[in-house]
Amino acid sequence: MSIVTETEVSLVDDLKAVPDGSGRRRYGRLARIAAAPVVVGFVLLATYLWIASMQLDSIEKRTLNADYLFARISEHLVLTVAASALVAILAIPAGIAVYRSRSKVVHTVAFGLANIGQATPAVGVVILLAIVWQTGFATALVALVAYSFLPVLRNTLIGLEQVDAGVKEAARGMGMTYSQVLRRIELPLASPVILAGLRTALVFCVSVATIATFINAGGLGDMIVNGLKLQRFPVLFVGAILVAAIAVLIDWIAGLVEEFVKPRGL
Amino acid sequence: MTSFDFGNAMTFLERRWEDILVLAGEHLFVVVIALAIALVTGVLLGLLVWNRATPRATAITAASVAITVPSLALLALLSPVLGLGWGPTIVALVFYSLLPIIRNTVVGLTEVPEHIMESAKAMGMSPRRILLTTQLPLAWPLILTGTRVAAQLGLGVAAIAAYVAGPGLGQYIFKGLSSLGSKNALNYALAGTVGIILLALLVDGAFVLISRYTTSRGLRA
Repeated sequence: MSIVTETEVSLVDDLKAVPDGSGRRRYGRLARIAAAPVVVGFVLLATYLWIASMQLDSIEKRTLNADYLFARISEHLVLTVAASALVAILAIPAGIAVYRSRSKVVHTVAFGLANIGQATPAVGVVILLAIVWQTGFATALVALVAYSFLPVLRNTLIGLEQVDAGVKEAARGMGMTYSQVLRRIELPLASPVILAGLRTALVFCVSVATIATFINAGGLGDMIVNGLKLQRFPVLFVGAILVAAIAVLIDWIAGLVEEFVKPRGL
Repeated sequence: MTSFDFGNAMTFLERRWEDILVLAGEHLFVVVIALAIALVTGVLLGLLVWNRATPRATAITAASVAITVPSLALLALLSPVLGLGWGPTIVALVFYSLLPIIRNTVVGLTEVPEHIMESAKAMGMSPRRILLTTQLPLAWPLILTGTRVAAQLGLGVAAIAAYVAGPGLGQYIFKGLSSLGSKNALNYALAGTVGIILLALLVDGAFVLISRYTTSRGLRA
């Protein structure tokens, strides 16, 4: 029962805690895997048909064309993927370092920071950074990394700490060095939790990258904000639908990867 | 580029603390209302679907897909329908709060130990009575945990909702952005952000108390 209480950190991950339906499991699973992309595809198609059937005015024409959309989508994706990659490179080693340091203080500080980080609103981080530093892409990138750093660090720590002490001792008993235990036992066993953290970070990043428009960092948030400001509902709608589709698809791909790279013994 | 000036920040706080308190109150209020709605809806949905494989999978998949939708996108989509202000804010907050609550309700109801279920049955309790008097109290701590996660999430979403004229401390954050370059920009944004962090810690503390006083006595160690 404690599974959910302890890993509530990552919102998107512990779906697995819900038991599978007993019979017809294969079809159920297939349906669940296919559900997200099918629904997304359907919504995108419906949006396209709706927009295509509309008489657009000049403002709408300027944004609702392939070039503009493509540019915004790629800005959004570049921001998301770059931030997530940086977080993976920085936060996982940091988590390992905190785990390896035997000092209690370091652990407490790391968890305390992670908790405060979770309580910090993303808009606040983005806008504060823009005020004290500058507006633009670099700021958005730094804000995204800062914001998703802590959840990944925290999941890395939780993942490593939950590895069974008996298993570690057995590995030591077989003559492995500490770093061998880390590489061959602890990290693989912790990988599902670490990956779940990364998946959360990815989804976070898509969401926060939308806010990046406030500080002139581009992305699909531009369309949403312009649509709202200029009272052009189609622009707003397409921007919002696209960003939602990206979030759902990225989460979906991350879910598949998670499933795929899970160590066989687990 | 603005750097922090302590004296300046103190004057700012002194002048506006009443305003800040009102905004903090609004922020808390809108999140609490949304949580109450989401708690009732989420638990009811959980009670309806927990023992049926397909509806359960559907509810949880739908909610977990829904939670990935960026909040600015959702708020923007809601605003043409619900206007600006409190309406879209509350609906969006309920929307994001549902997943943690439904999921934890379902997990809590499902994971009641077999022997407890059997004893309840052997005492002649009907399935509905078992559900309401045995499973639900046992699942309650977990449901509260879900609600707490939802609260943390909601406090952040409410900040973004200020962009569609929603209530709360987000207004100060955006005021900071719109006065970029002036000497109070940083103070506004800091007051909003730190205020929300403090609210989040406060809410977390409140949940510790709530769970202590509402958990069935047999479960309190």
